[in-house]
Amino acid sequence: MKSKIIRRGKLHAEPLIFHTLNYVFLALLCIAMLYPIVNTIAVSFNDGLDAVRGGIGLWPRAFTLDNYRTVLGMHTILDAFWMSVYRTVVQVVTNIVVTSMLAFALSRREFKPGRPIALIFVLTMYFNAGLIPNFILIQSLGMVNSFAVYWVPTMISAFNLIIMRTYMRTIPEALLESAKLDGASDFRIYLQIVMPLSKPVLATVALFVAVGAWNTWFDAFIYNSGSQRLSVLQYELQRVLASAMMQGQQSSQSSQAAQAGMGLSMVTPQTIRATITVVAAVPILIVYPFLQRYFVHGVQLGGVKE
Amino acid sequence: MKRTLLTAFLSVILSTVLFASGADEAKGAKGNGEPHVFSPDNPVTIDAWIVTSQTAPSPDNKISKLLKERLGVTLNYDITTPDQQLDRIGIMLAAGTIPELVGSTDQNARLVQGGAMLRLDDYLDSGRWPLLAEHVRPVRKKLTWTGGGVEDGLYQFPNYNRFYGNPPIMSPIHWGSAFWIQKDVLAFHNYPSLENMTLERYFDLIESYMKANPTIDGAKTIGFSFPMQGRVWGLTNPPLFLAGYPNDGGVMVDDGQAKIYANSKYAYDYFKFLNMAHDRGLVDPESFTQTLDQYLAKVASGRVLGVHDQRWSFGTANDALVANGQYERTYAATMPVFPGKKPYYADRDVLNINQGFGIASNAENPELLLDFLEIMLTPELQTILSWGIEGEDYLVDENGLFYKTQEMRDNFNNLTWKQDNRLEALLDIMVKRQGELPGGNAFAAGDQPGEFFDSLKQYDKDFLAAYGLKTWRQFVNDPPPNPAHYPAWQISPPDGSAAQVANQQLEDAAQRYLSEAVLTSPARFDSVWNEYMAAIDSIDVAAYEAVITEGVQARIRAAGGE
Amino acid sequence: MGITTSPGVSAKKRPWRVTFKKQWQLYLMSFPMLFYLLLFAYVPLLGWVMAFQEFRPRFGLSPIGQVMSNKWVGLENFKTLLDNSTILGQRFLQSVVNTLGQSLLILVLGFFLTIMLSLLLNELRQTGVKRFVQNVLYLPHFLSWVIVAMLASTALSLPGSGGFLNDFLMKVHIIDRPIQFLADPGYFWGIVAGTHLWKNLGWNTIIYMAAMTSIDPNLYEAASIDGANRYQKMWHVTLASIRPTIVLLLIINIGMLLTSGFEIQWLLGQGVNIVRSENIDVFVLRYGIKMGNFSLATAAGILRTVVSIILLTGSNFVARSLKQETLF
Repeated sequence: MKSKIIRRGKLHAEPLIFHTLNYVFLALLCIAMLYPIVNTIAVSFNDGLDAVRGGIGLWPRAFTLDNYRTVLGMHTILDAFWMSVYRTVVQVVTNIVVTSMLAFALSRREFKPGRPIALIFVLTMYFNAGLIPNFILIQSLGMVNSFAVYWVPTMISAFNLIIMRTYMRTIPEALLESAKLDGASDFRIYLQIVMPLSKPVLATVALFVAVGAWNTWFDAFIYNSGSQRLSVLQYELQRVLASAMMQGQQSSQSSQAAQAGMGLSMVTPQTIRATITVVAAVPILIVYPFLQRYFVHGVQLGGVKE
Repeated sequence: MKRTLLTAFLSVILSTVLFASGADEAKGAKGNGEPHVFSPDNPVTIDAWIVTSQTAPSPDNKISKLLKERLGVTLNYDITTPDQQLDRIGIMLAAGTIPELVGSTDQNARLVQGGAMLRLDDYLDSGRWPLLAEHVRPVRKKLTWTGGGVEDGLYQFPNYNRFYGNPPIMSPIHWGSAFWIQKDVLAFHNYPSLENMTLERYFDLIESYMKANPTIDGAKTIGFSFPMQGRVWGLTNPPLFLAGYPNDGGVMVDDGQAKIYANSKYAYDYFKFLNMAHDRGLVDPESFTQTLDQYLAKVASGRVLGVHDQRWSFGTANDALVANGQYERTYAATMPVFPGKKPYYADRDVLNINQGFGIASNAENPELLLDFLEIMLTPELQTILSWGIEGEDYLVDENGLFYKTQEMRDNFNNLTWKQDNRLEALLDIMVKRQGELPGGNAFAAGDQPGEFFDSLKQYDKDFLAAYGLKTWRQFVNDPPPNPAHYPAWQISPPDGSAAQVANQQLEDAAQRYLSEAVLTSPARFDSVWNEYMAAIDSIDVAAYEAVITEGVQARIRAAGGE
Repeated sequence: MGITTSPGVSAKKRPWRVTFKKQWQLYLMSFPMLFYLLLFAYVPLLGWVMAFQEFRPRFGLSPIGQVMSNKWVGLENFKTLLDNSTILGQRFLQSVVNTLGQSLLILVLGFFLTIMLSLLLNELRQTGVKRFVQNVLYLPHFLSWVIVAMLASTALSLPGSGGFLNDFLMKVHIIDRPIQFLADPGYFWGIVAGTHLWKNLGWNTIIYMAAMTSIDPNLYEAASIDGANRYQKMWHVTLASIRPTIVLLLIINIGMLLTSGFEIQWLLGQGVNIVRSENIDVFVLRYGIKMGNFSLATAAGILRTVVSIILLTGSNFVARSLKQETLF
């Protein structure tokens, strides 16, 4: 009894100090995260030639919308934008369906092949056959320069599988058992019990997949370069970035000739780069809060249920 | 059962993968048939792979439309940036798929070595493609691939620096290497003569200006810098020029023998000097770590008094200064040399080799592709590719000379506009009539003398007048014809060879030790230098020099046999 | 290890046909995906034969023709990589050391800070504030590595070039003259870890946060009744509840120790800091792909895989013997 009173007295000071420190710390962290991003946005609204002089902080020095006019006026970028949206949606849907089904099977402890299958999947996180063998496979399957290459080889990731399986294992066995006693099949248990209860993890994985799908450019580069129609936004961004950032000596020497002959400016102005970066990041930032609202909602459902 | 299923499954997969056939080679008459008649009634589609940092044209591009309406040609582009080229080449070779028209820029010509490109000699001799034949005639020997296991011959049409016109119209700007100095520094010293420039004088000019102007526009003045990221030559090439050699890359060539100079007396002298200059506060210590963007930002801020760089490499920074009206902060070329040496900074523009369009060996109709390149080389289409459409993109004066309005010039710097109205990617790799188009016009708008003088500002006019010169090119030496082997940097050691590894090692060692050597105190310079020399000794330099010398010799032989 | 668990083992007690009949739906849900995986992830491994050849692709040959046309060199490529007396070998081994150093720093700091941050976020009670903070912390994850590398190089430069890190450190008097972070190899591992943390710290909390929301609130109440204070609850309830997640992620990441990212090292790795920046990925790019030496690149990949799998199975084994959650 006595101890309880003493603790009560502490209760006022302790949370105050804790919360203050916590807020200060998180605020500092937020600033550290935000500064470079706000800076990128500022550069994207700044005049190109002025920006080459550097030193732009949180606000554009010579405000202009020209960069956005330029970038959004480029057909290749606009087309690639929609292709990115399309592939992201398709990839999220297929991933969720396939991964959850497999994760459900693997989460069932009575399913003996589950463990070796999990191992076979997990190992794939640790090796890569290399560019050429992968390409030959995709080519043999007739998927070069096709939309299929965006979602078929990427339907499942071992990491997401493990996350889902782990989550599904936290669903009380009793629920499944009682459903079984009621004569429910495994499919019905999966669809009607496990899936609704797994909303939090489904939302999380959907987000992981969406971010991955939105940000990848390598498959577009390796498999679909021959079809401008299938280009994705990040690949277009990559092209703009690469032409400025990763000049090898040899390519510089050939671009010397290009310069001498054409009198063009070789390095892409950094404002254009910043603008494409913003354009590439904004859609997922817009989608995210919606997903998160659902995701938070789902999390609460999962939490309160038990 | 699981096992049988698995076996069955695997065998299906294996057979798919293993027996997926490669392409067979198209054989047939080489150029005896009638040329293709390009017309909208006779449409053709061509798959073109292009290595360039230019972006793809938009789907309704003006020139694409013109090609389709006038020639019936539709081009399917596959565009790869230069740094990603090797990934694609390996895949293309191993997987046996390659677009029919190949525009690669790989110095090691891996596609040729891998058997993916057609030897063009037999075709050109048929007479069906007179323009292409004439395009390569004077330079054919130089273009001939000489590598192991491949039949020598012509495989790619060079995309740059085959000049037409006698003499060709050359750019009024020197785009190559120099020790650049801000015009205001020279004005401050009352336009001193730039003859017989030495390192000492160059840095003295900078130092006294710096003392008088410790800040520029409120920011600290920087004496001297150079690019580094991806452009190591900004750091490593000066000894070559100081010793009076032309730009052979990593080697000096004497009597047909290539020798690295990283461990030479010249290199020691230069970096020792740079070390002292750093000690005097003249060298920007960030030169060694800055990214290209940061370097360009500094130059563009107008507070860097001197750079060693190639002019094209700091093009955007220069444009930024001009756009800001800071003409006095733009640069003039100087050519410091060691005592008794003659400057050889400027060379004759070097023909590109192993870069440009070639034909894939699996192309179904190589003749048609050559017909296409042939028609693209006609002056009419060349003009359209380079200048655009008359009345829209340029105007013609009473003497038949092309010129542009300011709006037209601005369009050419507008990315969106270019995507809709120009085929930059195609033009980058296409055969070109550089130098002079029929009618006395320059091929590139930027080289047109009228365009140059029209856009010259008063400050620059006065500056040129103070030196009694007419163009920026006149600030550098008037280059003699290039030596037969020149330039040695085009000679690449074969893949996986000891020479290739040695080359990479030399570059790494230079970056690592030279930065330390320059930034350290003068007292410690020699000990860091000795470490550097020890590092070079452990590299198989002889293998590298042997390969380059071999290439040099082969070129000299080819020139002699002409 | 787990792979040997074939259905045959349990056949004595229950014939697998019986099990199969009962569980056919589970089989249907898993085996097609297994075959899919074998096709897309394992079949291409046939390409590893390249590592035992001097691979020079020839145009127009079928894959089997490619293999037949190349020279077999046995273990030559592996020997080159592991031979400390050659320059290539030295560079490779140094790149292994760098990879390990960089990824260990990322792993240790990342784990500690991510869990700490998740706990702190979990203590925020106003949902509005919490959601805002979370969203801000996730932001950097959406930027590409190339962008992050560019931002980092600015942040780390001298004050005159926008180097706000130097600015900050000087203002709070931690240092009195600016540091050239990129010029001193000693900082590079820290730079790699720092950029990884900046980009992924917030994002990585998602998994922990998800795990925390599923903690039964009754546990906290019970702990309060038992007289636990805030820190004790964080330790005994929150942390204990997410332990399976922690262990799983730890196992996964230990297996990834030989991967430490690529763009930062490639883009910020200059000659000055090459002794500490060049990791396996950069080595493979420079000496493998860029030089057209696919055999060497493949051999390095195989070595990495072998070590990774040893680390993975090893940590999984340790976890199992400690009665913790395991991956497989």
